[in-house]
Formats: sequence, C-alpha cells, structure tokens
Amino acid sequence: MSTIRQQLASPLQLLALATAGIILLPLGYVTAQALSADPAVWSRLWATRIPELLFNTVSLAASVAIITLVLGVSTAWLVTRVEFPGRRLWEGALVLPLAMPTYVLAYVYSYLLGFGGPVEHLWQLVAGPQARIFSPHSYGGATLVMALDTFPFVYLLSRSALLSMNVSFEEVARASGVSRLSTLWRVTLPLMRPSIAAGVALVILYVVSDFGAVSLLRYQTLTYAVFQQMTGRSDNTAASILSLLLVGLALIFLITERWFRQRSRFYQTTGHYRAPQRHRYGWLGTLAVTGYLGLIVGAAFALPASLLIQWSLSPEAQATIDSRFFGFVWNSGILAASAATAGVLIGLPLAYLASRRPTMLNLGCLQAAYAGYVLPGPVAALAVLVLFTKLAPIFYGSVLILIVAYVIHFLPAGLQSLEPALQHITPNLEEVARTLGLGMRDTWRRVTLPLVRNGFVVAWVLIFLQTMKELPATLLLRPVGFDTLAIRVWMEASEEYFQLAAPSALLIVLLSLPALALLISKDWRAA
Amino acid sequence: MPLVYSLPALQRTILSSLVLLFAAGIFAPSASAADTLTVYSGRGERLIKPVLDAFTANTGIQIELLSSGTTELVNRLKAEGDRTSADLLITNDAGSLELARTAGLLRPLNMREIDRAIPSQFRAPDNAWVGLSGRFWIVVYNRTMVEPNQVKSLLDLADPKWKDKIAIPNSGSEYLQAGVSVILSTYGEEKTRQFLQGLKSNADTQIYQKSSQIVEAVAKGQVPLGIVNHYYVYRYLATQPEAPIAVLMPDQQEGGMGAIMNVAGVGIIKSTKHLDSAKLLVEFLVAQAGQKLFADLDKEYPLHPDVKADPALAERKSFRAAQVPLTKLAELREPTLTLIEQVGLR
Repeated sequence: MSTIRQQLASPLQLLALATAGIILLPLGYVTAQALSADPAVWSRLWATRIPELLFNTVSLAASVAIITLVLGVSTAWLVTRVEFPGRRLWEGALVLPLAMPTYVLAYVYSYLLGFGGPVEHLWQLVAGPQARIFSPHSYGGATLVMALDTFPFVYLLSRSALLSMNVSFEEVARASGVSRLSTLWRVTLPLMRPSIAAGVALVILYVVSDFGAVSLLRYQTLTYAVFQQMTGRSDNTAASILSLLLVGLALIFLITERWFRQRSRFYQTTGHYRAPQRHRYGWLGTLAVTGYLGLIVGAAFALPASLLIQWSLSPEAQATIDSRFFGFVWNSGILAASAATAGVLIGLPLAYLASRRPTMLNLGCLQAAYAGYVLPGPVAALAVLVLFTKLAPIFYGSVLILIVAYVIHFLPAGLQSLEPALQHITPNLEEVARTLGLGMRDTWRRVTLPLVRNGFVVAWVLIFLQTMKELPATLLLRPVGFDTLAIRVWMEASEEYFQLAAPSALLIVLLSLPALALLISKDWRAA
Repeated sequence: MPLVYSLPALQRTILSSLVLLFAAGIFAPSASAADTLTVYSGRGERLIKPVLDAFTANTGIQIELLSSGTTELVNRLKAEGDRTSADLLITNDAGSLELARTAGLLRPLNMREIDRAIPSQFRAPDNAWVGLSGRFWIVVYNRTMVEPNQVKSLLDLADPKWKDKIAIPNSGSEYLQAGVSVILSTYGEEKTRQFLQGLKSNADTQIYQKSSQIVEAVAKGQVPLGIVNHYYVYRYLATQPEAPIAVLMPDQQEGGMGAIMNVAGVGIIKSTKHLDSAKLLVEFLVAQAGQKLFADLDKEYPLHPDVKADPALAERKSFRAAQVPLTKLAELREPTLTLIEQVGLR
C-alpha cells in the first residue's frame, strides 16, 4: 500500500504515466473504432483483403529482418574487429543509408530496375532484346529497398555493443584456447544479443509501418492499405480494423524481442574499456572486405545519391529551386529538431524508470510508449487530429499537433537506444556513488548522465532523421502553407517526376548528414 | 521519492525546450490575414497554382494552398469543423463535392455569374459547388499492341482475354469510384460486380496509385491497355508526341451508356470569414478567361459553353456522355464502395 503511494508521489512517475496516457489515447481511439464496427465489415475484410495483407506484411518483415541481421552484424563486426585500409571511412559510410528515405530509395530503384530502365537495357545487351528483369514493383523489390535502407539500425546498435563490450570476456575465451570463430559464436554474439534484438525490432517496426516505399513499389501491406482506406473513404472503420491488426502484429514482434532481451541481461563491470584488438587482413582479405562494404554502401547510398545529384542538376529541377524551396527546407529542419528534442526529453524518464525500478507500472508505461510506432502514421495522425480538436482546439492548425504525432510515432526509435544504454550501466555504479556520499542529484549528474550520453545522442538523432523523412502523418496534419521537403518529394515522385523530386530528396539527405555525423563522431564515443 | 531531486539538473533544458515548443506551436503560420484566402485543393499543385497565381496577379489577394487527396481533404474539413482555416475547396470529383455539400461543409451561393457561365447540370442545385471543367474516364491503349476496334465498352475489359493486359488505378481513386457508380447506376449491381471481378483478375498487380503512371506504363508497352481520365493521355502526348498511345472513347456503340463524365469543381466553405474574396475567386474561375486557363492547364473540357477546349482534344460534340446526374455520384458512393470492397479491389 505504502509503496504504491510512494510510487505515485514521484513526479517523474507522474510524468511517465501522463506520457503513457497521451500515447495510448490514439491506440484507444483506433481500438474503439475497430471494435464498434459492424461485424459485417469485419467478415467482408476477412474474406477479401486481410489474408493477403497479413501474409504480405509478415513475409516482407521476415525477409527484411533476416537480410538486415546479416548485413548489420557482419558490417559492424568488420569495422570493429578487423583492421584494413579505409576502415574509419567505411565505419561512417555504413550509416549513410539512414539519411536516405525509403521512398527515395524506392523511386530510384523503380527507375533503375523498372520496365525499360537502365538495368534492363544493360541486361538486354547480354540476353537479347526481349529479356526482362525482375520487376521492382514486387515482393523482391520491396525487400531489397527496405533492407538496404534499414540495415544501419542493426549495424549501429551492433557496433555500439561491440565497442562498449568489455573485451576481457573475449580475451579470456581466446586465452582458454577457444578458436576465433567459436569465440565469436559463443561469447561475442551472445553478448551482443540485446543490441541485435533491439536493432532488428527497430527494423521490423519500421518495415511494418512504412508507407512511402511500399506505395511507390505497389506492394500491398497493412499500412499501405490503411492509408488507401483513409484517403479513399470517408469513414475510417475499415482503416481502424486494419490498424488494429497491425498493432496486434507489431505487439507480437515486440513481445518476442522483450523476451529475448529479458533472457540476456548483461552488465558491464566497468565504464572504461580498452579498444579491442583488431585483426589485420592481408591484401586479399582487404580486397574482399572493401568489395563487400562497397557493394552495400554503393547500392544503399552512393548510387542513389549520385542519381539524385544528376537529376537535381537538370534544368527542370533547377527551375523549382526558389524562395519557396528554402521555406520547405526550414520547415523540415525545425520540425525534425523540435520532435527529436521533445522525444528525448519525454523518453528519458520512461526508460530510466523502467530500467531502474522495473515495477509492473513502470514497465507498463514503457511498453505503452512503444504503441505509437505500431500505429501507422496516418492513423496516429487522424487520432491526434480528432483528440486535439476535442481537447485542445487552441493548438489546432499549428505545428504542435504535428510534433505530438511525431513524438508518439517515433518515441520508440529513441527508446530503443535509451533503454539499452541505461541497461548497460550496472546499478552498482550508482549505488557506489551513493554510498560514497554523493547525493541522488549528483549521482544522476556525474554518474548516470555521462554514462547514458551515447544513448541520448543516438536517440535524438534517430528521431530527428525519422521525422525528417516522415510522410503519411505530415501529409495529413501539416498546417496550411507548411509543406516539408518530404511532402515535396512525395508529390513529385508519386507522379514519376523523378527529376523534380530530386532537389528536395537531396536536401533531406544533406540535412540529415550533420545529424549522422554526430552519430559517428568520436567525442561521445569516448565518454 | 528520491528521484525528485534528479529533476532540477535537467530543469532548465526541459523548461526552455517546452517554451520553445509552445512558441513554435502558437506562432505557427495561420492564414487569417484579411486579403489571404486558404484553398484546399484535391487537384495536383502544378495544375492549379498557375490559375491561382493569375488570380492573385489580378486582384492582389494572396492564396495559401494546401494540395492533397480529395477525399482526404473532405475528411479533414469534417474533422476541423468550424475551426478550419479553409475558405474554398477545389476537387477533382463531383461526388466528393456533393458529399461535402450534404455534410454541410459548403455554402450555397446566389451568384448571377455562376448561373450565366456554367450549365445547371454541372453544379449543385443550390450552387454550393460549381463544376469548372469536365473529364472523361477513357481507355488508353498502345497502338502497337491493340487495335482500337477490339474494345467497344469499358465492360469489355472484364473479358478474360485481357488477362494481365490492363492497368487500373487503385480503389481509393475518386475517378474509379465515380466511374463504378455510373456503371452501377446504368447496369445494376450484378453486372457491375461481374465487371469488377473480371477487371480485378485482369489487372492483377497492375494497380497504380497515380493515373500518370498508368499512361507511362502503356506508352512503354509494359501493359497494352489502361483506364484513366482522358487528360493524362493528352498531357503525356504534349510532352512526348511520339508515344504510341491513343484515347479510345468507350461505350459509344449503339445503345451504349456513353463515356463516363466527371467534373472538377469548387465550393466555398460554410465557415469562411472571407466570403467576398472567396466569391471573387469563384467568379474568376467561371468567367471565360478563368475557364480557359483552368481547363487548358489540365487539358480538360471547359464547362462554359462559349469557351473552346484545347484543339488537341477530341471534339466534345463527337462523342456522347453517360446520362447519370453528377449529384447522384454522392448517393451512389456508399453502395459503390461496398461493392468494391466485396469484390476485394485493392
């Protein structure tokens, strides 16, 4: 009894509860809408659309998860455990695809691989004029684009884990005569498991809630169907039903990931570590590694980026660059920065409470915060719109409403890195600081905060990047005259005006680069 | 309990950030200046902005434009209610305008300029919305792959011989919805259902978000046939005159229903605070100069009887339009959507 009262009395607790409440409101709205629907609508959807959509969504998520797992972990291992010329360069370059929105990659690939596109022309030179290549507007195309775009999530978190991992575990294994490969398999990978699981979960949630790429590639997933329902129909019943399924699906993924992480909770014994010894490769190995990394970075970033530059330099595209264009740039930047700041400030107490006081209530609040990511952008947007007009009409039509939707939608991306960051610090450190006479406040300032700074920065940058690229919620909620770069890309690319879309797409990439630079910069890694 | 003390360390950051956030929210641009109109437009920006710019040049009245999907904008207007900043709604589909009117979003107009310029079958009975340009739902075909006499009616396209040979827009498209409504009203539910089932199986994965993509696919020979609005074809031909595509005006045979027509139109939002300026814009759009500009940008048929269509288009008098009143598109929308959903069209 008294513990409950104590918990409730903490303002941090109240803050966490309030946040969870606000984030759960849209979910509640959608659930209520879906459950109050006429059973006839349910059975019609079951008979026609749902099996196909579920199958498409799950199989896309599964294939992308497997590919990103392989790409992400292997690249992270190469840049942290192997020494080869240009290693530092590749270390940064592997993050670059995060600056490339999926829908931009999708439109570049639908041009490259599309009917009568350059790749097909090349292929026809080899295989005869009637030869066709596989269509990018397919399961394969969607998998390729989504995997190339999202593997850096796994890479980043795996790399973080490999860098902050106490190398003595591996050294002990090696000293006891365990082979290099076996050490990797039995020591390193298991230690990385929480980070890998977090990365893959991020990828899966990203894939199931993606709208831009699947719609440009005409691959029917639940989220795409929801957007079609919302923009093509005046009542949102069917959209709500499909959303509820989507939420259910994402919850299953999340619970699986939690379960993985619960089973493998590791603490570092010290915040200080020695850089791991990097194995040096010969020229053959170097060539192979460089080729492998070059292929990935080339396909996911260099090739699309150079096409964007080429398109942007065309006279048609140049004509679109005027004062309006710079307005879009400003809008995008300010929105993304505000959402990222708000997201981190809101996420920190949630993650802190859940990892330091894992009561049912705190864990519940944290799980609630993950709800936003599984609500497809358009539905989160609609729910926010309705709630705002009912509860706080004064903010209606302002950017605040957009920021709330972003925070709800992308907080999980931030939490995914805040949480492991907090988990990695053993509570002993804080306890020692306390027994040595440091007050709670000083402990937080001098021990906890410096230790979580990495996670903090990563969280901010991830939210910033995702907001910059966000499409469906922005489409539905943007105030009048507040178009962003993402909107401009979408307007042009969805009508295949690739050249006209290019300057905005390129600008999104350029604006994202400083944020990414922050991600890979040295000074926070040393902390 | 002890965590209370941890807060002040962050307090300054949190507070200043919150202040910033709220400031950003409150001082966000909200179009309320007296000489500014806010237009929600379901028509592509490149096809409407030049007209609105011409209006601004004529009158000095600035325009804030929000371009988006038609149904999406009507949904947004409903959610916004009286608080909306929109003054006018421009859409590509009479059905959506009529739905907005029946939802009480639009304001009836009593303007002689409208009555004189636009024939009554192209506007609401109370002028709450006014048609501005006409478009036809036609078949585009690749001349190297299909003979024009192989298709007489849209309904022919459900024939299994066109399996994997036709591209259609997705079912969220208002043109498709309106087109199906006309077929439904002409041929009844059973025949329409068979048509949709055949179409679904023939199109298979060739279902596009945008009609411009369909025309592109037909021009490249990826698929021989597509169903689109006529102007997508003429717009494509205007930039690529060599493309092997042409318009096939369907259902012109003896006893056929006629080509399916729809209009783009405008309505003034009921809660507008700029009624006079909004009326000026409507006046501008229905007048001869505005009609010419509005229709030609998108290669549509002007509705003003004295304004000639772009010469590239088929002569308007050379074909028949289906005789289904535009206002009926709204009441048919719900049964149409139910049918589309039952068939499972994407």
